[in-house]
Amino acid sequence: MEKEQPRWAEVFQVSMPLCLSYIPIGVACGILLNAAGFNPLMTGLVSLLVFSGGAQFMIASMLTVNAPMHTILVMLFFLELRYALLGSSLSQYVRGTSKKFLYFFAVSLNDENYAVNYLKFATDKEWTPKDALMVEHYSLLFWTLSNLVGSLIGNVITIDLAIVDYALTALFLYMIMMQIKNKLTILISFFSAVLAIISMTILKSTMGLVVATLIASLAGFIIEDTLVKKGKEKGFWLKRIKPKASRKVISKSGE
Amino acid sequence: MNMSTMDHFILILLSMLVAFGPRFIPLRIFSTREIPKWFNEWMKYVPVSLFTALVVKDVFMNTKTYTFVGCDYMAKILASVLVAIVAYRSRSMGLSVVLGLVAVALLAMAFPI
Repeated sequence: MEKEQPRWAEVFQVSMPLCLSYIPIGVACGILLNAAGFNPLMTGLVSLLVFSGGAQFMIASMLTVNAPMHTILVMLFFLELRYALLGSSLSQYVRGTSKKFLYFFAVSLNDENYAVNYLKFATDKEWTPKDALMVEHYSLLFWTLSNLVGSLIGNVITIDLAIVDYALTALFLYMIMMQIKNKLTILISFFSAVLAIISMTILKSTMGLVVATLIASLAGFIIEDTLVKKGKEKGFWLKRIKPKASRKVISKSGE
Repeated sequence: MNMSTMDHFILILLSMLVAFGPRFIPLRIFSTREIPKWFNEWMKYVPVSLFTALVVKDVFMNTKTYTFVGCDYMAKILASVLVAIVAYRSRSMGLSVVLGLVAVALLAMAFPI
């Protein structure tokens, strides 16, 4: 066992699985952004400044269907709104840091480095806000480089975009699976699916996604609140379900 | 509508602001005071609702006409079932995405995508 490892190397080891998994997704995202008309410089810039797989795929697919800018921005806002939750659940661990630090921390916060940092903060007393920021920066580096590679590959070879586009759907499916905590979450997921189909068919736009999200999440909140008030925390709907995972689980639920 | 590089640049800057607000504001507010319980309880259901709606849009909707297509995109439906199972069991993002891409590419040879 090497105990004299420098801190940056230790933190890098923690970030490694995350950084590696960014490579295929980043490359796919770069290819799509290239197809949407972004040059490599813009692709690099959006990866650095927005740093969100979901948002960047969304920008790419909405640009290819010629969506107007305000529609893209409204969709992005709702997509990024989930970071409000991630940010608030990490806030207790970054108390006492400067405003400037919070600024940098927020800019490069995203789903995956949140999951790593939340787990480390919760289980490792030595884990500091500075380490957490380092994890964010390592993942940002890998993400941006992969996007650049994708952008350059996209120029050289032709790839079926419908297939590459599926990377985003797979990513969202993964995130849904990570969110499943009890039967109520599954019910809300199905409810949102039905609402999404109905509201998109009626509104003929992606605003249907926003409507479905708002109604389904409020329904989940109200149902849970009602069940808890009736003392049914351990009942059919709210009893925790655990996956039979063989690997070490990085949980996103705030346990 | 064809966007120029300048339009892309403006879009990126505005996207950054839109992405930054939800990440920074709660972090800033709640690093000095307690999080209201109702806010947390409500936010808990936002990701699962939004992600489901987005998956449904890709798998079950024609995004040009916004009509429900049922089981027309069979390749995506089958790939999604596979990804869901693997994601739930493995808890690995990288594996889920790579497997999804491979599955949809192979299934697209036999089924409509």
